[in-house]
Amino acid sequence: MEKKFEKNTFEKRLTSMLKVDFRRFFTQPLYYIMVGIAFVVPILILVMTTMMDGTTTTNPHSGVETTIEGFKNVWQIISSASASGGGEQAAMAMEITSMCNMNLMYFAVSVIVCLFVSDDFRSGYAKNLFTVRAKKSDYVISKTLVCFVGGASMILAFFVGALLGGGVSGISFDLASVGSSVLGIIMCLITKITLIPIFVSIFLVMSVIAKQRAWLSILLSLGVGMFLFMMIPIMTPLDATVIHVVMCVAGAALFSIGLGVVSNKILEKTNLL
Amino acid sequence: MKAIEIKSLTKNFGEKQALKGLNMTVPVGSIYGFIGENGSGKSTTEKIICGLIHPSGGEVKLFGKDYTDADVRAKVGVLIEAPGCFANYSVWNNLMLQAANLSIKNPEEEIRKVLKLVRMEGAAGNKFKNCSLGMKQRIGIAMALLGDPELLVLDEPINGLDADGMRIMREVLTDLASRGRTILVSSHILGELEKIATHYGIIRGGKMIKEMTATELEAGCRTFVAVTAKDMIKTKTILQGKYSRIEEENGYIRVYGATNPEEIVTYLYENGILVSEIKTAKIGLEEYYIDLMKEKGAN
Repeated sequence: MEKKFEKNTFEKRLTSMLKVDFRRFFTQPLYYIMVGIAFVVPILILVMTTMMDGTTTTNPHSGVETTIEGFKNVWQIISSASASGGGEQAAMAMEITSMCNMNLMYFAVSVIVCLFVSDDFRSGYAKNLFTVRAKKSDYVISKTLVCFVGGASMILAFFVGALLGGGVSGISFDLASVGSSVLGIIMCLITKITLIPIFVSIFLVMSVIAKQRAWLSILLSLGVGMFLFMMIPIMTPLDATVIHVVMCVAGAALFSIGLGVVSNKILEKTNLL
Repeated sequence: MKAIEIKSLTKNFGEKQALKGLNMTVPVGSIYGFIGENGSGKSTTEKIICGLIHPSGGEVKLFGKDYTDADVRAKVGVLIEAPGCFANYSVWNNLMLQAANLSIKNPEEEIRKVLKLVRMEGAAGNKFKNCSLGMKQRIGIAMALLGDPELLVLDEPINGLDADGMRIMREVLTDLASRGRTILVSSHILGELEKIATHYGIIRGGKMIKEMTATELEAGCRTFVAVTAKDMIKTKTILQGKYSRIEEENGYIRVYGATNPEEIVTYLYENGILVSEIKTAKIGLEEYYIDLMKEKGAN
């Protein structure tokens, strides 16, 4: 007599996988540490650079004098205005104000994604997971979604920290001077959040390649992520418009699906132990 | 019906061929003792069955369907090497994760049930990393039992278990098999395996060298008469004069091929030996396995 097995629909499989991943992601201390860092970093940067603003240091060997220029406006720590927006920050690409901003969060996301995935393999939980889950796509979709939510919350924590840091350091909140508006800031935040799936899907590919070797996946993720890091200021300016949002959504969809297929193939074709 | 059917299974790890055309049949409702030396291919076979590594060739079917079938695989419980648990999670939370993974409708009740089965109710709140080896093994089994699997794949499940743990394991596995569940269990503790297995598969060098039922094993095991006497060396020498195969084992002289103890007592008495103890017995799975390995090694 043939055994009858309950049909597991895609919806049912994905729901159960999401339950597992949400439970794991949001109960791990690392996530709260990262959100805490995302919140504190802008406060520290804004306060410290304001305190050091205008300080001149001299190189004892070359005698060259360097003047530290701090943030003049809170929104500079979120992003820089596009060249067409006429923002003065567009010309400061290599200065502290454009290097130490919200875009750093994408690197923090790489750490959390890589550690989260490698933990599945390191603990041996992947054995339980993949024995009962023949479809690897559930795993890839679920990880992408959960890490996207986690990454988005880090972006928001950074934003709140920036507002608080701006208040504490007493620098300007003037939007017009950076060529933006309230709508522009909202659009900018949306673009920042919609870029996360692009990075998450890259980090996920690296993580499933490296499996339990977290150090390798972080190294690969940072290496590959660096190439895309340069495009963030262009895609997410302070004066972002609907066009930017649409471009980011399209990019996120393209990368998530394309790289999701790659991650899926890697899991299907390689040994999971 | 066959729970597992494997035909001509091969697996290469680079240059090394771990499985060389393995054939295996595990009937539904059986407790299949999977035996072999270290590196013979047991774990590789089990990992392929669970979809954790990919075969290089051959066919693997579970309940008549390809082993990659998602619906069948959802009903497989596994304990391979160590239990896959997060060290910093409590036992309960680890089980809750797996229950969510299996979409179990009433997870709390199901977890209580499996914890009770492995006598771990009191340790539910303990962190996994603080559990002893034996406890971890029981948790691994509890995890494998979640969702009432049709097929259980257990690799060395009694490693690290104390006598009570082994007894519990025997009871759990026998009960599952009586309810029609199939269990594939590999172990080096053959004495324990012999108490529960209904079928056996003996693997060597990546090939199945023997598959048999427990009844066939029973019939295939040779009988012997075991003798003890005051002067064991002299007794052994005298017996060697009449019987072709004499071995000393566990403080007894074993006379293979002899079935009548009285005949041996008389023969030894006539040669001036007084027998202290005499009994008839059969070799067990362990000795059968050793004999088979010697035989196959000689061929």
